[in-house]
Formats: sequence, C-alpha cells, structure tokens
Amino acid sequence: MEMPQYDPNTKPEFELYTIPSHSSWFRWDDIHETERTALKEFFDGSSISRTPKIYKEYRDFMINKYREEPSRRLTFTQVRKSLVGDVSLLHKVFRFLDEWGLINFGAVSRGDDSDNRDSSLGDTELKNQVKIEEGAPNGVRVVALPNSLKPISVPNSGADGSGNGKVAVAGETGVKLPPLASYSDVFGDLVKLKGFKCGSCGEQCNSGCYEYSKQGSFVICEKCFKNGNYGEDKSKDDFRFSDLGGNSLTHGATWTEAETLLLLESVMRHGDNWELVAQNVPTKSKLDCISKLIELPFGEFMMGSAHEMNSCPTGSLNSLKEGQSASSENQNDVKMEDQVHDQMNESKQNGDAATEEPPAKRKRIAPLSDGGSTLIKQVGGLDSVLDNLEHYQTFLLMDCSDASFEVAHISTMVGPHVTAAAAEAAVAALCNESSCPREIFDGDEDYLANGLSSPTMVSDPERALQVDASKMEENQSETQDASSEKNDVPLNLRIRTATATALGAAAANAKLLADQEDREIEHLVAIIIETQMKKLHSKINYFDDLELIMEKEYNEMMQLKECLVEERIDVLERALKTGVSKWRS
Amino acid sequence: MKLPATSSSKAPVKPTADNLVPIRLDIETEGQRYKDAFTWNPSDPDSEVVVFAKRTVRDLKLPPQFITQIAQSIQTQLTEFRSYEGQDMYTAEKIVPIKLDLRVNHTLIKDHFLWDLNNYESDPEEFARTFCNDMGIEDPEVGPAVAFAIREQLYEIAIQSVASAREIKISKKGRRGAEHAISSKGGGNALDLMKLFRYNSSVVRKRKEWYVYEPIVDILSNEEVDALEAREDRNTR
Repeated sequence: MEMPQYDPNTKPEFELYTIPSHSSWFRWDDIHETERTALKEFFDGSSISRTPKIYKEYRDFMINKYREEPSRRLTFTQVRKSLVGDVSLLHKVFRFLDEWGLINFGAVSRGDDSDNRDSSLGDTELKNQVKIEEGAPNGVRVVALPNSLKPISVPNSGADGSGNGKVAVAGETGVKLPPLASYSDVFGDLVKLKGFKCGSCGEQCNSGCYEYSKQGSFVICEKCFKNGNYGEDKSKDDFRFSDLGGNSLTHGATWTEAETLLLLESVMRHGDNWELVAQNVPTKSKLDCISKLIELPFGEFMMGSAHEMNSCPTGSLNSLKEGQSASSENQNDVKMEDQVHDQMNESKQNGDAATEEPPAKRKRIAPLSDGGSTLIKQVGGLDSVLDNLEHYQTFLLMDCSDASFEVAHISTMVGPHVTAAAAEAAVAALCNESSCPREIFDGDEDYLANGLSSPTMVSDPERALQVDASKMEENQSETQDASSEKNDVPLNLRIRTATATALGAAAANAKLLADQEDREIEHLVAIIIETQMKKLHSKINYFDDLELIMEKEYNEMMQLKECLVEERIDVLERALKTGVSKWRS
Repeated sequence: MKLPATSSSKAPVKPTADNLVPIRLDIETEGQRYKDAFTWNPSDPDSEVVVFAKRTVRDLKLPPQFITQIAQSIQTQLTEFRSYEGQDMYTAEKIVPIKLDLRVNHTLIKDHFLWDLNNYESDPEEFARTFCNDMGIEDPEVGPAVAFAIREQLYEIAIQSVASAREIKISKKGRRGAEHAISSKGGGNALDLMKLFRYNSSVVRKRKEWYVYEPIVDILSNEEVDALEAREDRNTR
C-alpha cells in the first residue's frame, strides 16, 4: 500500500503486502476500535506518555520496519532499540500486531508457532527434531508372562509419554486388570531427553560420550573425540568420559525382580538417601532408582513410609497394627509376600510397607465412617482399598506358581473377602515350597488371636459376610481341589483347620458386631421416643400458658366493661339532677 | 515493592506481574564459596526458607554450616523487602532506564532499555524469554539471570525512592511536604516524561542513537571467561 511517485509515463506500481483478512479493518490513517480496546492504555488519557499519537507512531514504525524486508521475521528486540518507551508496553503493541498478522505475516516461521513462543518448554531444539516413537504405543504396557522369569521391560515411549494408565496383562488367563487410577507415566518424556547428541558432529552418542567438564551441556561422541574434533577452543584434557553403556536408550529400565526387591529394601532402610540406595542396588544409578520407585504403584507410599519408619520405627507401626482391622485379609497379604520372596527379613519389611499402605488408606476411610456414613459406603471404601491391594498383589505375583495365579484370577471376578480366603488357601498350598511353613502357621494363629480379642474393628456388614461365607466355602473347595493334588495328607488337614479357624473367627466377629448393632438400634429408638415425648410435653405446656393468659385478659375485659357501665350511670344521674329536659342521649 | 492494587486481583500489589524478591547469596565458609542469585516468592511461608537451604546444601553437597548461613541470608533479605512493603506510592507512570551488564557462563550481555516501574503487567521473565528467543541464546541459564538482573535493579530503584520519600516526609512534616516529595521524586532515576513525550517530538529515536539501546550478546571463549572470573574475584575480595 505504498504510494509511489506519480510519474505520468509509467504505470503506477503498487507494492502489495498481504495481511490476513481478519485484519482488513486496518487503516494507515486511522486507529480502529480493535486497537482501542486491545491497547486501552494509550487511549484512556492516564499518562502523557501514552497517547493515540504515540501509539500510532509505534505502530507505523513497527509495520514499516517489517515491510522493509517482508520475508524476514521481525523480532521485538530489533524494534525496541529504536523506540522510546516502556519495553513491556512496546512488547504489548508488538504482540498485538503480530497476532493480527500486521507484521510477520509472510515471514519464515521460526519452526514453532507464534502461539508457542511463550510456551514453558521453550526448547526449540527438541521441537525441531523429528519424533520417532519406538516400542509399543503408550496405552499398552508389555508385562512379563507370569511364569517366566524375564524382567519387566519398559518400552521406549515416544516424546509424548503422557501415560494413559497401565494395562497389565495377567498372563495366560488373559484377564485385563483395569489400570490404577493414580498411575501415570510422568517420566516418559525424560526417556527421550536422555539421549545425548554430540556437539560437534550432531549424531547420537550411544555407547559413550565425552562430557566437557567446564560447561556441562557440551558432549561429543567417542568418534569425534578420537578424531580430535573437540569443538572450538576446547582441549583434550577438558573432556571427561562418561560411559552410557548400552543403556542409553533404555536407561537402565530393565529391572529384574531381584533388583526391585533390593531397591525396596534399601529404600526402607535408607529412606531418602539416594546415594546409599544406589550403592545397594549395584547395577542401577541413582536416577534409575528414583524413577523406578515412582513408577511402582505404591512407590510413593514407600518413600513416605520409609520416612516414618526411620523416624519412629516401632511406635507408629504398633499403633498402626492395632488400629487396623484384624480381618484376615491384611495378614494374608503379608503372608503371601512371604511366600513370594524367599527371604523372611525383607519380606517382613515389605509386608510392613504394604500394611502401612492399607492402614494409611483405611485411616482416610475411618473419618468417613466417623462422619456417620452408611455401612454401604464403608464397604465401598473397603472395596476400593482392596482393589488397589489386588493390583499390587498381582503385580508381585508375576512369577509365582499356578495356584497363586488362580488367586489373582479369582480376585478379579469375585469380591475382596473371597480373595482373602482364597489367598489363605493358596498360602497353605505354597507351604510345601517354602522352607519355613511352621513359623508362618504359628504366626497365623497369633494374628487370628489378635482378631478375636479386639472386636471393635472396621465393620463389615453382617449380610455381606454371610453371603461371602457361603461363597468362600464353594471356592475353598475349588482351590483345595486344585492344590490338593500336590499336597501331602497332613497338609490337607492343616488347610482345613486353618480355614475353619479363620471362618470361625470371622463368624464370631460378625456375631459380636451384629449384637452391638442391635443394641445401638434399641438405644437410638429409645432416644427418639423420648424426644418425641418431650416435644409433646412442651407443646402442652405452651398451650396451658396460653389458656392462662386468655383467662386473665377476659377478666380484665369484664372489669373494663363494668367500669364503663358505672361511668355511664354516673353521667346519667348528673344529667337528671341538673334537670336537663331536653337531652339527647 | 508494594504499590496500589492491580485491577484484577485483591492480592497485594506488585510492580511486576509476579511479586518476587530478588535474592543474592554470596557465602564463604571453610574455603568454599557459594554464589547464587534467584527470585523468591515472599508469600511463601518462612518455614520454606530452611527447607530450601537444607535441600540446596544436600544437592550441592556443601558442608552443613552453610544451611544456617544460607537461611539467615535469605531471611534478612526477605525482612528487608518486607519492611518496604506497604509503602504508599503514587500511581503515575515512572520510566527508569535499566542497564544490563552481566555474564552467564559463556554469554556476555550488555543492554540498555527503559522500564516502567509502575506498570503492573510488566514481567521480567517474559522479557527475558523474548530476549533469549530473539537473540537465539541457547544457554538456559541466561534467561533467569536476565530476569533477575532486571528485578534487582527495579527493586533498588524502588527502595531508593521509598527511602527518599521517607526522608522528605520527615524533614517537611506535612502534606505540602509529601506533595513536594512526589513531584520531585523523579530524582535522578526516572526520566522526565514531559521532555520525552512532548507533543511535537517523536517517540522514534534518531538512528544515531539506536546503537545505545541495542543489546549486545557475546559468546566468550574459555580463556576470556577465566580472565573475567579472576578479575571479578579480585574485585570482590
């Protein structure tokens, strides 16, 4: 829209600048409403440095500056040096023009949209790279088959590693467990970022890289180092070798069971001290430990509980244990892990960690029940807790025997109480695999004794228990049949006695609770009746009072009436005395 | 740096989009020197200071004496900041010149521009981001350092004007004194708006002045960096 000099001999040439159609309101000579509203500061007369004239100057200068070279992208820094005024305000004007396409409309974009210019990531290098996604798509996680001893490997997720949740495939049965609601893979992005790019030749350094010790962000690959391409002004001695090994892409993500175990153990012992934890887990670096721990579904609880344990080891645990329900479910979880890991000490710790996790969750549920919620709600809360427990169980049961896998299978189909009972049976079934069945059994008795002696626990509805009890019996026979083939005769008896005791304990518990419920109901009904009576009484009293008042008022009225009558008689007398003849009453 | 309320929120006011305190630490103990500069949010509870100090010492593997010293230093700077809060300042515009002259790792930055102290929407971080993007600076430490430098200068200017206002109030003792203070508060720092934005003058600078306000970004080599560091150390000791 430039006006060339008018030469009558030549055709007038107009240079055309394109602006988007939504900016067609723009006029050189005028300031449009859009500008007035977007940049109010210039038009409200608040300061002498902000007037429409000044705004127009800024605007015209910026647009002209851009049009000197339309293909080049005009940056704010280039214009601000030429304009007098607050840079923030100038920036606002600049952004306004940019958004409306009045400048930089035809310019080469910088590789990212102008909308993303202020994005928090701001790493243009990443954005310009082509993202290649390797491995399985993000929604699906590949998990090792239950019977194999292969480590669980994390697939190399692409740059957008935002987890949709984990879908665990539970082995041969093909049962798909729903993902844990709280699980999300926040470290997927970091997987991509960790690959090093050589500073001089621009290739990926896979096997090993040389890190420039003075400025940490500069790395070159081995080849360049050998060839002497150190980059500008850097000498050989300044480089430090850091071997990424073959783990550069998988970044040590292949965690075997043993390593996971070691990790958990060392976290329990050392809590937050990652140096020691990394030392204990020999093949994994500090970062790997942390990321692995967080990836585990209960990992964060471990870190929290490790803290607790380190600070007040015995006291809190005991109180937690008393607080938690003695229902066999918890104890069975403990024992199940005992079986899984063939070492008693660390399994105990793990068991503690697991029991700390459900108490933590139960504590949250307890306030719910204190608030007087219904029994059903409590059951619902319990269910969710136990669902999570189930997932945890299945996670750890990966390489267990078939019997325990049936437990997992059953747990997905039937309610949690059944899981407990079935788990117990599996425990007994696995007795012959373990080296210390006796201890466990004795421990079993103790826990059950605890259960009987403390009746005030998290309440289960009586009805549900009864239904479950019948179901339990059915499944009991199933699992017993499944496992009985492997067992010796004495073990069979043990199973029977164990389950019988468990059932008995549960039944006794239930009866006690039911009695208590009854008494409570009676008590409440009595209270209700009392209050009703009181209400009626007070109403009667109120009416009595009203009656009294009414009577008094009536009496007063009668007196008044008499008075009036007397007065009238008086007046009449006087009138007669004075002999008023013509008198109109 | 508290000024009358912004239009949007009821929260206490800020001269910039976020009310952040620039904190500078330079602690030396047992032969180890810890230098750092960052911004702190004064609305964080004070207990966070100790937590931050502990974490920093742990991450950088400094000897534990640093914890108390760091915490103390941060606290004193915070209390100093808070003592200036709530000062009543006027709402008129105040444009001050900001000069950047800093070195971050291998990048040397020199710049000169104008900033409105009373523009509540101004954001040093955004300015720093645009600056780095436009100049193509890849070192991620430069942005925050630039923002910090801006904040520090704004802070000092604000303190100066508050301090001078106090003095004038004390000396004049009266409303007239306060008014006079306001009008002369421009002092040496703020530019005279009247002169700059006269009706018949242009806001576009003359070309020959452009170089003054142009940013200069230099990438230094190692030897230069070492030399500069040595000189800085000598200066500060």
